[in-house]
Amino acid sequence: MERTFNGYTRADGQIGIRNYVLVVSMVHCSNTVTQQIAWKTGAHAITHDFGCAEFTDKHARTRLALISAVMNPNVYAAVLVGLGCEQTDHESMMEEIKASGKSVSYVGIQESGGSKEAVIKGCRLAEEYLKEARRQKREPCPISRLVVGVQCGGSDWTTALSGNITIGAMTDLLVGEGGSVIISEVGGFPGSEHILADRAVNKKVGLQIIRMCDELREEYVRLHGQTIEEVNPTPGNKAGGITTLTEKSMGNVKKMGTSSKIQGLIYAGEHVPSAGLWMLDLRAPVVDGNATSGFGMAGAHMDIFSTGRGTPMGNAVMPVLKLTGNSRSYEEMKGLFDFNAGIVLEGVSVKEAGEKLLDMVIEIANGEETKSEINEDFEFIIPRENNR
Amino acid sequence: MRALQADAKDNVAVVVQDVAAGDEVTVTEILRVKVCEDIPVGHKIAITDLLPGDHVVKYGVPIGEASEEIKEGMYVHTHNVKDITEQLCKEYAEEFRRKAGEISGTDI
Repeated sequence: MERTFNGYTRADGQIGIRNYVLVVSMVHCSNTVTQQIAWKTGAHAITHDFGCAEFTDKHARTRLALISAVMNPNVYAAVLVGLGCEQTDHESMMEEIKASGKSVSYVGIQESGGSKEAVIKGCRLAEEYLKEARRQKREPCPISRLVVGVQCGGSDWTTALSGNITIGAMTDLLVGEGGSVIISEVGGFPGSEHILADRAVNKKVGLQIIRMCDELREEYVRLHGQTIEEVNPTPGNKAGGITTLTEKSMGNVKKMGTSSKIQGLIYAGEHVPSAGLWMLDLRAPVVDGNATSGFGMAGAHMDIFSTGRGTPMGNAVMPVLKLTGNSRSYEEMKGLFDFNAGIVLEGVSVKEAGEKLLDMVIEIANGEETKSEINEDFEFIIPRENNR
Repeated sequence: MRALQADAKDNVAVVVQDVAAGDEVTVTEILRVKVCEDIPVGHKIAITDLLPGDHVVKYGVPIGEASEEIKEGMYVHTHNVKDITEQLCKEYAEEFRRKAGEISGTDI
């Protein structure tokens, strides 16, 4: 029998696992007003340093990131907060958001008569949305509707050995049941392109993966005058037991499991076009939050984050399930981790650990809060890529 | 004491605690390896003998090449393994492109 979770049905047919309300700053000038509205109401703030005097290509990314965050299926409604004279065109954004059936409003600081007035107005709107959101009932949905991003950071020697392998087992199970998993962190791919291309659904996708890795390798040489092998594995990696780049890279790609084929590549702001395992080609700097926000922009419901040492990663539009492969880290930071994959090093089979992880994914989809939510780690950063 | 083999094809395993010369680690139900030298937690131990030039296999794939003779139970790391990532990836990419070209007739 197909497993289900209880989610929120959106007007456009998407399914959310949360009913978050966002307060989105249109420009750096409106950041503090945005933050105050969020603090006072419990809505999630998205702030950034952009939105005015940007070159057209850079501004396109700012707009894409902000609108994609609002379009994430976990978002019930949004309040856009601007100054009034910014570059970001809130009207066209609102048109796009409304077309999906989502509620959205705008608060301008200048037209409201100042900061305090804008905060009061914004709070009233956010509170109204939150009240409506609480009234919406969850409905049963098949787990084949779930879209999960997988990533790792704050790694230690257990990350590849138990953490990422457990995520891989979960990937095999979820995709096997018709669901979707997105991998990214493409900066970690060179060194295992031969493995990745072999996992592609067809030759075309395989060539796209090889080309992407070639381009990344060329970019490093062009910008830094060094090959990726010259700086990887890092001294810290070597101290932790990683000997070669292929070994490091393989540890990273273990999150995609062993049985599913890579259906294709998606780019910033695109949702997966069909179910299965997908690769998000996001060439932003290898900072954890870039991949997390990238998954949020891709419409993922949840992020599963493997961190041996422990980082507080969370996201404004998704619950982040944090997993460690290190039982000691888990015991020391129980308030930060959701799942202990260290059990794999103590004799539990990888398959069993993967099953337990999938059970937790379904519980979270049903509404169980992750530590990232309990700790109110609701960050969002705009992923910036060179020449995109 | 235990060492974890990530894939059945691997000729190295990862020790899950610090081990010292003379210890014995259990890799699988049927494989126990006598440790030849001290190895820190998270680092690799050879579970078969390797000759210079042999592939070091982890996760079921070659991750490097033995740069000297490595005996079962020895510590496997940068001192006795050559990183051949660039060569492996280049060879593979060329082969993949060639095959894909043969099938589709075009490079995308």
